[in-house]
Amino acid sequence: MSAQAMPQERNPWQSILSALPWLLVGLALLAFIGYLLIYLHYAWQLFHFPFDYDQGEGFELVDTLMFSRGQWPYRDIDSYPFYSSNYPPLFHIMIVPLVWIFGPQYWTGRLLSFLGTLVTAGAIGYAVQREGKRWWLSLLAGLAFTASNYVYHVGPLFRQHMTMVMFETLAAVLMTVTIDMEEADGRKRPLQIALVMLLLLAAGYTKQLAYATVAAVFIFFFLRQTWRTVKWAIPFAIITGLIFLWLDHSTNGSWMLNTITANINPFVPGQAQGLYRQWFQLHIVLAMSAAFYAVYQLYFERLSLYSIWFVVAIVNSVTAGKWGAGESYFATAIAASCILIGLAFNRLLDWSELRSWAWKAAVTALIGFLFLFQANRFFHMPTHTPALAAIAEALGRPSFVSIAPQTSCSAPRDAEAIPYVDDAGVSLLGRPPTAADSAAGRQIAAFIAEGETAAFGEDAGFNLYLERDVITNPTQLLNLYNNNAVDLTEMLAMLDSQAFDTVVLRAQFYPPPVLDTIGQRYQTEELVQMNGFVYCVMRPRLLD
Amino acid sequence: MVTKRQLGIFFIAMALLAIVGSFAYDLAGGGQFSGIGPAQRLALISAGLVGVVGLTLLPLGDRPA
Repeated sequence: MSAQAMPQERNPWQSILSALPWLLVGLALLAFIGYLLIYLHYAWQLFHFPFDYDQGEGFELVDTLMFSRGQWPYRDIDSYPFYSSNYPPLFHIMIVPLVWIFGPQYWTGRLLSFLGTLVTAGAIGYAVQREGKRWWLSLLAGLAFTASNYVYHVGPLFRQHMTMVMFETLAAVLMTVTIDMEEADGRKRPLQIALVMLLLLAAGYTKQLAYATVAAVFIFFFLRQTWRTVKWAIPFAIITGLIFLWLDHSTNGSWMLNTITANINPFVPGQAQGLYRQWFQLHIVLAMSAAFYAVYQLYFERLSLYSIWFVVAIVNSVTAGKWGAGESYFATAIAASCILIGLAFNRLLDWSELRSWAWKAAVTALIGFLFLFQANRFFHMPTHTPALAAIAEALGRPSFVSIAPQTSCSAPRDAEAIPYVDDAGVSLLGRPPTAADSAAGRQIAAFIAEGETAAFGEDAGFNLYLERDVITNPTQLLNLYNNNAVDLTEMLAMLDSQAFDTVVLRAQFYPPPVLDTIGQRYQTEELVQMNGFVYCVMRPRLLD
Repeated sequence: MVTKRQLGIFFIAMALLAIVGSFAYDLAGGGQFSGIGPAQRLALISAGLVGVVGLTLLPLGDRPA
């Protein structure tokens, strides 16, 4: 046996000092598993909530319902029921079988989106594991994704964004694996590259924002295999374009109008700056580690796809400053940073193991500490039970926060105690819905049911609950109005003649002429609070 | 395969293009501000940083990017 292979004898102090870092790693694992349990609880509560939690959810369910009936959701918004969608179809098509079996239920899309985040976390863990073979570090990297405040907020919602991130992550990981294999044995793997292209196509037809990941993958491919990239880019562009043209032709131009023209929204610089600042503060360890590793690769080794993806995603996150965009636009950058932190720390551990037990202990302790520090930055948890409130207080947080309900169509209300604490700040996302919220939703639906027509409402959920038509999609209507791409004549005439028995407002997202007509022809009869919003339930005014 | 030097040249070219484009936009009558506006300042600073990174990559020669 060589001297190197012989086990080194350690004195008791060395044994204790070698074990201590694992205490930090264990605590970090505990913290991130705790976040996973909080995430599961939030998702479970959302699966049982039968109305809109986030304003756009119901309209994504309407899109799914239309696809399940063989109809396009890209329609002429000028005429009754004034509905159209601005999102690509794949996410909704994936849910169609569930809607066929269970009907138009919110949990169907929420479940798919939630499972997508778990797949993404798994892909992150796999990407780290295949390079470092350290299960605990791979687990921490994967769990860091689901622990992010942003991922937690939107992961279990009926929104297509996290499914796009899932396809993006799978594409990035598969591309890396494929190129590594090709460079190792010199054998080309066109089928695997084709699968990467398919995943990119799926990401893009889940949400348009995936173009950044498409760019990152092709930049990486170009750096490694320049001419082969051109050969793949041309058919990829042609297929993407042909699908686009087919959709536009099949919808008589409504596809282009609703998914491209309507998405040219005003840019709000303050919103972008605020979100960049918040993202950095909340994800400081992930962001700094990923950035350092990307710079290291730029100067001292070859750039990995993950580094390019991270940089491109960070730059593209500027689109979070568009009206209607938000924190979820950072999810791609978060996924990339989770992989990079795992790779960076694996590299550090490899380096330390070549030196001495003391170096290894120090680096392991540093990694454990940094993950714990990041866990503290991510702090978010419900505090509705005495035990959870006690945990929050023990960690130096309040056991509740005081937030005034959001009002747009009624007088401001006093702040009330909310049993959910989140270091992201005051947010209406993340707080698990309660039985009172479900009861409030049913109360609004009961008001609508007293009339005979569908409600003209900002949430789709109430009409869906009553199996009535869903009337318009307010944010999409506003997008089109702001781009001079809608004719409101028929809608305003119906509101003017009080053709709807009920109007339900939540945030007054409708274009100004619609709000003016509602104000002239309808009056508030009831105020109902649900999920931190005060809904104004309106009935027709008595006319002279 | 692209080298570090080629990547550096690409970064420098992109930075120059961004700087020239930014002023060309002004000459074409775009923008809401007289002189250099906030978005243009941010674009110029970003382009400058990309250009500097490009310059530092030049000495790395033919190593693969």
